[in-house]
Amino acid sequence: MNRDINVKQMRINCFRQSKVPGEFMLQMRVPGGVVDAKYLDNVRYIAQTWGDGNFHIGTRQTFDITGIKYDDIPAVNAYLEEYIREIDQELCEVDMDQVAHQPQPWDPKSGYPTIGARNISACIGNYHCICANINTFALASELEKIIFPSHYHIKINIAGCPNDCNKAHLCDFGIIGVGKMVYHPERCIGCGACVRACIKGSTRVLELNEENGKIIKDECCCVGCGECVRACPASAWTRSEEPLYRVILGGRTGRQTPRTGKMFLNWASKDVIIGVLKNWQEFSAWVMDYKPEYLHGGHLIDRAGYKKFKEIVLKGVELNPECLVAEDIFWHETEYRSNFNVKPMEMHHTAGPRNGTD
Amino acid sequence: MSYALNIQQANAVLDEIRKDYTVFAPKRFPKQGRYSDTDIIRYAEISRFEDIVWDTKSDYPAKEVLTPIQQAIFYFTEDEYRESKGPKKPYLVLARPCDIAAQHVQQKIYAGNGGYTDVYYERVRKLVRFAMMECNGGDDTCFCVSMGTNRTDDYSLALKFSSEGVKVQVTDDDFTGYFKECPKAKYTPSFVEENELKVTVPDLDNAEVRKALKTHPMWNEYNSRCISCGACTVACSTCTCFTTRDVIYGDNPEVGERRRVTSSCQIEGFDQMAGQKEMRSTAAARMRFKVLHKFHDYKARFGDSHMCVGCGRCMHRCPEFISIAATVNKMSRAVEEIKAGMAEG
Repeated sequence: MNRDINVKQMRINCFRQSKVPGEFMLQMRVPGGVVDAKYLDNVRYIAQTWGDGNFHIGTRQTFDITGIKYDDIPAVNAYLEEYIREIDQELCEVDMDQVAHQPQPWDPKSGYPTIGARNISACIGNYHCICANINTFALASELEKIIFPSHYHIKINIAGCPNDCNKAHLCDFGIIGVGKMVYHPERCIGCGACVRACIKGSTRVLELNEENGKIIKDECCCVGCGECVRACPASAWTRSEEPLYRVILGGRTGRQTPRTGKMFLNWASKDVIIGVLKNWQEFSAWVMDYKPEYLHGGHLIDRAGYKKFKEIVLKGVELNPECLVAEDIFWHETEYRSNFNVKPMEMHHTAGPRNGTD
Repeated sequence: MSYALNIQQANAVLDEIRKDYTVFAPKRFPKQGRYSDTDIIRYAEISRFEDIVWDTKSDYPAKEVLTPIQQAIFYFTEDEYRESKGPKKPYLVLARPCDIAAQHVQQKIYAGNGGYTDVYYERVRKLVRFAMMECNGGDDTCFCVSMGTNRTDDYSLALKFSSEGVKVQVTDDDFTGYFKECPKAKYTPSFVEENELKVTVPDLDNAEVRKALKTHPMWNEYNSRCISCGACTVACSTCTCFTTRDVIYGDNPEVGERRRVTSSCQIEGFDQMAGQKEMRSTAAARMRFKVLHKFHDYKARFGDSHMCVGCGRCMHRCPEFISIAATVNKMSRAVEEIKAGMAEG
């Protein structure tokens, strides 16, 4: 191929380089993994007009359209305007004329402006699921405008309940819908269905007090899944009116140091989640000295250290009374080379502004 | 005498009635449903007309007003005890015809069964007046017409709700005074005449047929489908089973209370006797017991009607989508099969 193609620029534009020279795969954002089925017409049109006729359901719930020729990308981008406007601008109220909260006018014919903040993936949540505690899609739509467009990388996975079908444990910032379940002893018939449900499907925190036929709960180890609510035949367990959220931080896959995330926040309100994510850009910028690199959020936490991360992302965030914050986090990585972290000083990562000021 | 009240007038009347009666009605409890972002509608005392949920059938029945899930029956200290105090003020209970019919059933069980009257039921029951909520047709789990409970005349007030207010027919002189200032209107209540769901209750007079039905394979499916949670019986308008439980206060075993708590024939261990013997040890056996109790045994004992009033709440609340209507219809087919087999000899 005698072509001059800046593949990095293409990638930022959400076109991924193919093994076939000059071909690309478009990744269309689908925040929360739910859109009106009518947009499948757009997917089909792009795939059949400019692609190879197939489309892939992306691992982050994007619509991935393969086999798009480099020369056709301007036409594809122009066609995408309607989809981006309807999904991101209108549905998610994204300000497209900014990048990482800094003004930067968007050319509507130019397609996606950034790839950094990845599509927010989500399980179907309580839009459908009988286990879910939250409307994951609604939350994804609300968070999209906070993280996108941005060159700073973040992968957010939203799970409707602690069963975590959507793997909040394997992304930078995993959000799990939970609740402090409310017990109404006057409605409890002492049947023990919640106890059995908790033993079978959760963390065994419930016990039937044989003295009075009521339930004793180990609040400390409750994961807030709501299985007790589902199991109760008498509505003696109910969810609180507003759900709460657990944030699992710094999980990842990858060649070098895959690891599951660890709990950063427990029982956080939605306002706390929003507040923390609003600080994500600032944290990322600080670590990389205000020069975005193709590096995921979890790695930035490695560079800065969890305590610095916490200091920046909790700045100005008013924690709800129930909210618990990890004092420290000890991740456990799979080291594909032993002593992976032991290396010459010059190979050590650095974090923060390089001009000597903070 | 009949009246038409707008919401403001209805609230004014409600305020007056509340001076003399505790008023109970189906009320919405937001986000307290089994699944997230779903509500529960159950009976509770109301203070505002707008609290009354009239356009959707309540998840739980009106029986909770008369026989709450948990109730202290007496308190004890050493060798003394005192009965719990019943309500002083009379109750006005807003209920659909099926829930009113259910109280006639409950009354038989609590206060007409073997010559014994349950004082805890009776002391409340005699304070209850019904305000019949004209039924807007219920939902796809209702089969009151099949059970003959779609009509009732046991009410002091009949109410027809709309988004503008309520039409009221007063049939009890005790209530006439509250409506003196209200605009008169023509209103006589109407009743549901047909449900989408129809149930055919089989004739089980023949003891041989009943014996064959007991071991019929139709019940086996419930061993894998029914999870024995008891949600059906808690939601049932007519189920009366309860257990008693002594609760000791703190560390002094001589001070405490005896409670009655709702129980369920569907839950494992319900019929466990001394020596750990259980009469119905499978979900299928428990289901069969319930169905026959509701659609044969009660009527065989009391004569006039079946126990089930067709409110459909058991189906509505069943997390496994087991339909009592479908079960009874299956039972009818099984009985036909048994009878045909017996005729062939």
